[in-house]
Amino acid sequence: MSVRDLKGGKRYWVLSACLVWLVFTLFPLYWVAITSLKSPVDVVGGPTYIPFVDFQPTLKAWKDLFSGARGGFFSTFWASTIVGLSASVIATLVGSMAAYALVRFPFKVRLASGIIFFIVAMGGYLLGSEVFGVNPAMASIVAFCVALALSIFLNRFALPGAVLGNDDIIFWFVSQRLFPPIVVAFALFLLYTEMGKLGFKMTDTYFGLTLAYVAFSLPIVVWLMRDFIAILPVDVEEAALVENVPSWRIFFGIVLPMARPGLIATFVITLAFVWNEFLFALFLTNSKWQTLPILVAGQNSQRGDEWWAISAAALVAIIPMVIIAGLLGRLMRSGLTIGAVK
Amino acid sequence: MATINIENVTKSFGEVEVIPSLDLQVADGEFVVLVGPSGCGKTTTLRMIAGLETATSGTVSIGSRDVTHLRPGLRNCAMVFQSYALFPHMTVGENITYGMKVRGEDKQKAHAAMKEASRILNLDDYLDRKPAELSGGQRQRVAIGRALVRDPDVFLFDEPLSNLDAKLRIEMRTEIKQLHRRLKSTIVYVTHDQVEAMTMADRVVVMQGGVIEQAADPITLYERPRNLFVASFIGAPSMNMLAGQVAMEDGQPVFVSNNGFRVPAPAHLATAAGEAMVLGIRPEHTGEDSSLGPCIKATVIEMEPLGPHTLLIGKVGDEKFTAQMPASNKSQPDDVVDVYLDRSKLHFFRASDGLALRESA
Repeated sequence: MSVRDLKGGKRYWVLSACLVWLVFTLFPLYWVAITSLKSPVDVVGGPTYIPFVDFQPTLKAWKDLFSGARGGFFSTFWASTIVGLSASVIATLVGSMAAYALVRFPFKVRLASGIIFFIVAMGGYLLGSEVFGVNPAMASIVAFCVALALSIFLNRFALPGAVLGNDDIIFWFVSQRLFPPIVVAFALFLLYTEMGKLGFKMTDTYFGLTLAYVAFSLPIVVWLMRDFIAILPVDVEEAALVENVPSWRIFFGIVLPMARPGLIATFVITLAFVWNEFLFALFLTNSKWQTLPILVAGQNSQRGDEWWAISAAALVAIIPMVIIAGLLGRLMRSGLTIGAVK
Repeated sequence: MATINIENVTKSFGEVEVIPSLDLQVADGEFVVLVGPSGCGKTTTLRMIAGLETATSGTVSIGSRDVTHLRPGLRNCAMVFQSYALFPHMTVGENITYGMKVRGEDKQKAHAAMKEASRILNLDDYLDRKPAELSGGQRQRVAIGRALVRDPDVFLFDEPLSNLDAKLRIEMRTEIKQLHRRLKSTIVYVTHDQVEAMTMADRVVVMQGGVIEQAADPITLYERPRNLFVASFIGAPSMNMLAGQVAMEDGQPVFVSNNGFRVPAPAHLATAAGEAMVLGIRPEHTGEDSSLGPCIKATVIEMEPLGPHTLLIGKVGDEKFTAQMPASNKSQPDDVVDVYLDRSKLHFFRASDGLALRESA
């Protein structure tokens, strides 16, 4: 049923309810916007609502922000932008490949080989670091590689126990997002500092932060893209197979363009996640690669709650996402019909 | 162009055996139609020729090449899918030339091939459109165009007309047939529509449960069906089947139906005296002309006037019976009507194995 079908009074009731909801959702944004234009006196001296009427707007907060008086604004914005874009592009691309593989090819993972992986990786690490006194990072890297190679090799044999299929792999992916991120953040921080000791500087680097975000975004990307790819008609890929189109070209030239609406949706969701992420950025960066959420949070530290400054920084964090969601949302809608050729 | 040779091919999906053992030879330039009910293995057979499925055992050859384990792209087949399977994000022109582009063929050559295909298929005005902007028939022509430029050894069609409306289907039927005449190519065509099979094929392969029931030219299939399944599958409306047995009266074999009527049987049925038998007669070989042959009594359920003639949908005893009456016949439901059977068109099938018993066979 559509609002258009309603007659007379009912229609106005629905419309006014919508308006109330609109005001309800837009007011916080409005509040942030005007607060960023207020002087400190106007903020602390009781609520004021309308610029030029109850208070005289000033650009002081914005000038402070752009002049860098409150933390390196441009470098932070730049860090957020390139880490956000590159992590989302990489995660969407890699995750789509994984999703495609999980939709089109049946995998068999033996539970036993998974357990062997766990035992060898953990045991090897403990053995290396505790018994032989190897550097912990080196011990974990070696143990991990050996365990991976061994379990992939052993998976070829008919080990006893359950055999896991594609759905189990998907669940395993998604399950990585089920536990609290703080658990990962600690572990990741330790791993990165250990790697730093080996000479690979990971904390507060572009590479380290992007890698963490890619890893943490992948489960969602795989999960979303699997559904977008599963609805694509397999005939089209088979037609390409018969035409002797190589698999990588089928993926990039046919599957990805057909999944474009889903790809864009997934990209936007990933970008929003990375853009807004706070915890990892807090742990893994300290100056050079700090991101916007850290900057915004940092505004209320030293000199009390400076709401005008927080508002200006918050708006800067919000506006790019609004623009991107708007632009890509249009692309997404225009592409929604493309896969539906019957 | 090439022959296709399928030898001792079996196919199982996990535990499910779809094709027990199949042998099929397709001659160079032959138009073969695989037909049968859903799940009879016809599409699986086609996909094994294309390489989209791998035979569980046996060999598939195209020309002199054994392609059993070759991947689809290397078999030089062109396939047209039921869903057309066009690339939705490419224009008609790009769809047709995509394969050539990927294979790195000369651009001018690709363009010339595309022009030729679009001329043959009347697609000249649509080359810059996307598939979503085309009608079903146009999409199907694009799919055929994509196959044409491939210049393949074999064309494979997987129910290409079943998504089209009835009128368009008849038009496309003719177009594909003309295309075959012009290209003289080897075609394997899958359909569940026996009319499509009969009208298009040089040879029709009737399949059921993964087994070939009969492979013959359309007229042989119609006139001399090998068994009950083929007899009832081919022809519309389908053949009437009446159960009974063969008895001897005065040294002559007679078919005695379970409903009590008697039909003189051909002399060669004498050897089958006493056996349970099914009498088959096509509706178009019945009528109200008493000179045709033996007479049975049918109770009318419904009359279906078709213009040139009227179908009498009725019952003989408790068995369904359809007769083709002249348009002048005005019988009413519940009337009991004399129906004469053309004695030269009677088919007799042994009830035990369903095989047709024929004089020469």
